[in-house]
Amino acid sequence: MNSAIMKKTMYFFVLPALLFYCVFWIFPILKLFQYSITDYNGYVQNFNYVGFSNFKTLFKEEILMISIKNTLIYTAITVILGNIIALLIATLLNANIRAKGFYRSAFYIPTLFSAIVVGFIWSYVYMPEEGLIASFFAKIGLAGWDTNFLGSYSKALYSIIAVDIWKNIGVSVIIYLAGLQTVPQEMLEAGRIDGAGKWKLFRFITLPMLATSVTINITLSVINGLKAFDFPFIMTNGGPGISTNTLIYAMYKMAFTDQLFGKAAALGIISFAIIIFITIVCVLTLNKKEVSA
Amino acid sequence: MKFLNRKTLVMMLVAMMLVIGACSSNTPNAGSTNATNNPSNTTEPPTDASDDPVTLTMLVSGAKAAEGEDFELETLPRLVKEKFPNVTLEVQKLPDEQYYTTVKTKLGAGEGPDIFLVFPKLANMGAIEVAKAGYAADLSELSFWDRVSPAAKNDMSFDGKPYAVAKGMDILGTFYNKEMFEQAGITELPQDWNSFLEAAEKLKAAGVTPIAMGDKDPWVIQFGMYQLAANSVYPTDPEFDTKLQTGETVLTDEKWVKTINQYKELYDKGYVVKSSLGMASAQAMQQFVDGKAAMIFTGTWDLPGVTASGAVEFERGFFALPGNDAGQPVYASASTAAGFALNAKSANLDAAKQVFEYLYDAESPLFEAWVASNPSISVFNGVELQNDIFQDVLGEIQSTGNAFYFSNQMWPAGVSDVMQAKFAEIIGGQKTTAEDVTKAMQDKYKELYKE
Repeated sequence: MNSAIMKKTMYFFVLPALLFYCVFWIFPILKLFQYSITDYNGYVQNFNYVGFSNFKTLFKEEILMISIKNTLIYTAITVILGNIIALLIATLLNANIRAKGFYRSAFYIPTLFSAIVVGFIWSYVYMPEEGLIASFFAKIGLAGWDTNFLGSYSKALYSIIAVDIWKNIGVSVIIYLAGLQTVPQEMLEAGRIDGAGKWKLFRFITLPMLATSVTINITLSVINGLKAFDFPFIMTNGGPGISTNTLIYAMYKMAFTDQLFGKAAALGIISFAIIIFITIVCVLTLNKKEVSA
Repeated sequence: MKFLNRKTLVMMLVAMMLVIGACSSNTPNAGSTNATNNPSNTTEPPTDASDDPVTLTMLVSGAKAAEGEDFELETLPRLVKEKFPNVTLEVQKLPDEQYYTTVKTKLGAGEGPDIFLVFPKLANMGAIEVAKAGYAADLSELSFWDRVSPAAKNDMSFDGKPYAVAKGMDILGTFYNKEMFEQAGITELPQDWNSFLEAAEKLKAAGVTPIAMGDKDPWVIQFGMYQLAANSVYPTDPEFDTKLQTGETVLTDEKWVKTINQYKELYDKGYVVKSSLGMASAQAMQQFVDGKAAMIFTGTWDLPGVTASGAVEFERGFFALPGNDAGQPVYASASTAAGFALNAKSANLDAAKQVFEYLYDAESPLFEAWVASNPSISVFNGVELQNDIFQDVLGEIQSTGNAFYFSNQMWPAGVSDVMQAKFAEIIGGQKTTAEDVTKAMQDKYKELYKE
């Protein structure tokens, strides 16, 4: 950059920030690659280099596939379902209803609590036989229904995802709401004059105008889904068995319970590759959509 | 590369942040590698504990006492201050899982607490491991060892030197509701596996949930399992775990398959509360104290929880789960409890040692307070049993010696986790068999065990 405005010496001002960036970001990343081929236990400082055996064991074990699968399911559902519900709520909250302010705050409140608190409360809501849902079922005469949500291999993951959506929906709703308010009334009116029904107005005017909000929300939920850790950690300990292990949870467990930091680092690198791949796909598709809108 | 526009780059950075954010905890020691590489080189000048103000840090695991004064958090710092006005003890108590993570990270980074909790033998944060890594100080010169039971001292030793002072002895057992047993017509405590199953059947027939377990906290699976292992694995081969290290025995042995099948039987026959996998350990405990289940497997340390008042009043009892065949004696599962160790690299090691001398001095008010607050069975000579509920089981152990340690104390940390995860599949009605569980345990053992 041969700028006539900025002197080259000005680049020195970047140095302090760059240094911090290197020490606390670049260096640890490189360390991660180093650890991934060692048997470091995170604790005793002498370790051996073991080549690719960490990766080999990972590919042999079922934990890798299960955690990848769970992470992808987690992400897909939080992205798709979370955004559809958020958009619905936002549309409702944008309508002229009574006590709009109250409803808007009500949907945002769960977001304000920490994941720990939410997870803990929900583990009581989901408690078999005596939890909130189980008691409700019993009250309305559905006592026979299986209410073992967190302890069932088929339901635990989805129960956790539901809580995640419940907690994080407030943010998406706010963003959609802000987007909805930028949709010009004139356009909607013009559409109405042209004889468009509610669905067509939404599909051909509102939704394209919301494209930016959709991109932001999808990106945020993809990030949130891929780094899923707190709810499996608090609500199920990754269980029953290992059925709700996500990539990050499996990594944590490996590093701190099994004391296999080397193997956990290897898993970190595999996750890194997966996440980069998903991100690129995501960005490419969303970019295209936004342009066409 | 047209598609690599700015947005893509930003997204990639975000993706990297994600991974780094998740993994940065893996490298907390990166900067201090050199500082901690040579533990032997860091000789600190001895501090004179008698006058200079000293702050000692202490990290332990557990929950704060529900009622009354908490020993570690309140009593200990207060009484230490009374005796040594210049010493301030700062205590932090963390839930078990967090304790392991925190203390290891701190020790690894050279910022370890002066006093911390270690566990016996090879367990996670076990005495052998901590001593080997050079983090725990050799305590052999302290004066109170002649009053500590040799077994307790031995379980905390490495190379013949003690590295921690055990809190006592813990017994795994079955707490039961005496009233419910009577109402179900169980007149005699079960003495072998079949009579235990019969008792459970009677309870079930009487419309009572026989056993409450909070298997959503998977570690509770160990509480029943080790009691069974004490009967089915070790009596015929007391050296089973030592032989594991050389490969002479394997965890896929039929003894372990039998143990796991025994525990499985309790679930298959519906003796354990339905949907236990969805219930946390605290919730299961609540069921027991509320009189909704007749038994719960846990250890002596859980006495405060077991005796907390619930919805109904009833008398509690305690027995060792009889996993034995008819005609064989019952073996209990009893082990040295966790205990305090000192940080070998502490700048205030001498002051900390003086605190230890005072804490374990039979005459001191601090020792008295410690004994009174401690649910474990004391390993110090001349200290009487504090809780009568354990009298029968303890008396039996003392007179016959029929007891084995908790299996995980001889396994690398991680093997018990696999056991729990695999056994949860059995509880959850997956197709897993006892053989699958033992195979996973053996594979993990081979992966983790290092000379």
